[in-house]
Amino acid sequence: MKEFDDIRDDQIRVIGYTKSKWVPSSNLKRYLISAIIIIVLGILIVVLVKIRQSTLYEPEPALFEPEVAYITSEPVDKGWIGSEIDSTAAGFTEIVDTTINDIPLRIYIPHNAQMTLHLGKLDKSDPEIIFAAQAADVRADNGGIVGAFVLKGEQKSRGLAKRGYCAIIDDKISIGVAENTPLFEESTAKGGYFFRQYPLVDNGLLVDNEPKGKSIRRAICDRKGEILVVESLTQESFHDFAQVLVDLGVDNAIYLVGSNAFGWAVSEDGTHHKFGDENILKGRRGLPKNTSYVVWRKRPPYKIK
Amino acid sequence: MKKHIVISTSVDLVRIAPERVVYVASDGNYSTIVQSDGETRVLTFQLGQIEKIMSEQLGSERNTFIRIGKSLIINRSYIYYINVQKQKLILSDNATFSHSVSASKEALKQLKELLEEDIK
Repeated sequence: MKEFDDIRDDQIRVIGYTKSKWVPSSNLKRYLISAIIIIVLGILIVVLVKIRQSTLYEPEPALFEPEVAYITSEPVDKGWIGSEIDSTAAGFTEIVDTTINDIPLRIYIPHNAQMTLHLGKLDKSDPEIIFAAQAADVRADNGGIVGAFVLKGEQKSRGLAKRGYCAIIDDKISIGVAENTPLFEESTAKGGYFFRQYPLVDNGLLVDNEPKGKSIRRAICDRKGEILVVESLTQESFHDFAQVLVDLGVDNAIYLVGSNAFGWAVSEDGTHHKFGDENILKGRRGLPKNTSYVVWRKRPPYKIK
Repeated sequence: MKKHIVISTSVDLVRIAPERVVYVASDGNYSTIVQSDGETRVLTFQLGQIEKIMSEQLGSERNTFIRIGKSLIINRSYIYYINVQKQKLILSDNATFSHSVSASKEALKQLKELLEEDIK
């Protein structure tokens, strides 16, 4: 499979040739065609001679026709946690509850939906939203966003407070761990999204973090190309939560705001499953204006350009 | 029988004749097939997986399709216009549809050379 992804944007490849830039010249083509014709003619002559010889000793006809073997395409099993969904179905969030290492988990898998970031108050009644959870941390002293943050190509915050990152560029979600990543510049150049959070899993390996307390933990994860949000249903340390993600088979994961941070998921039957504390919005000061969210909205039907 | 591209998941199956595929575009973790009848279909496959399926199922007909960079597979039968400088590629049947897609200059240059080789 890797060979099919092994192509750069400045390369082309005729399907069937795994080596990129392979462009047969017309002379080479002629030689190839001539060689193939000669080989085929040779094989035909040999086969004809054999047939003539074998007709002298032709066996009795078989009582039953030999069975015909049919080759059918097997469904492709990508080993994802979420179900395969009809591509024409409306967007929703699949919710899977499981337990790993005695830690109960809830896994949210958005289907047929498009992920973006949102900054500021989020409309809970928006029928297009099928999943929302708080993304970047907000500074307690001045209410600023912690770490670099790009919203639709506009840089809202800069800095490297946390090494984990999530970028959404041309609808492709990238989660990883790096102090410097070109995805930050690319997200500003291409109208994308970018935020930073604590790294939890880096290429299948656990990443330890400083904070040692226990809390409800949430993370956005990439597992074999499937994007998931995982929530611990009990209070856990960063280390134990990251270990659970590793055991779940996650390749890359970064933290999302945990504890009582409010969010919700809309399941296939339209039910809103809320998490965190909804009333946190009703406090005297309300949420900081720089509160940010990862948001999945129902994917719009595709139109011809 | 004529070969079809069959893309099967545990839920559904898409079966499409190769000549009806104008192009396939990468859409993050999904791919979008744009058909000659104007229909589009989003599939939960990455573009590399679609390329693998085409490569395995189409036999010699797979040469009709060309992977361009990371985000595009096109049907060479529908290439109508290439402008390397403007990074523009138009796929059309000159009758019912015309799709403009973009690719890198280097990729389009190679595509142009490939088509020029074909007529020699």
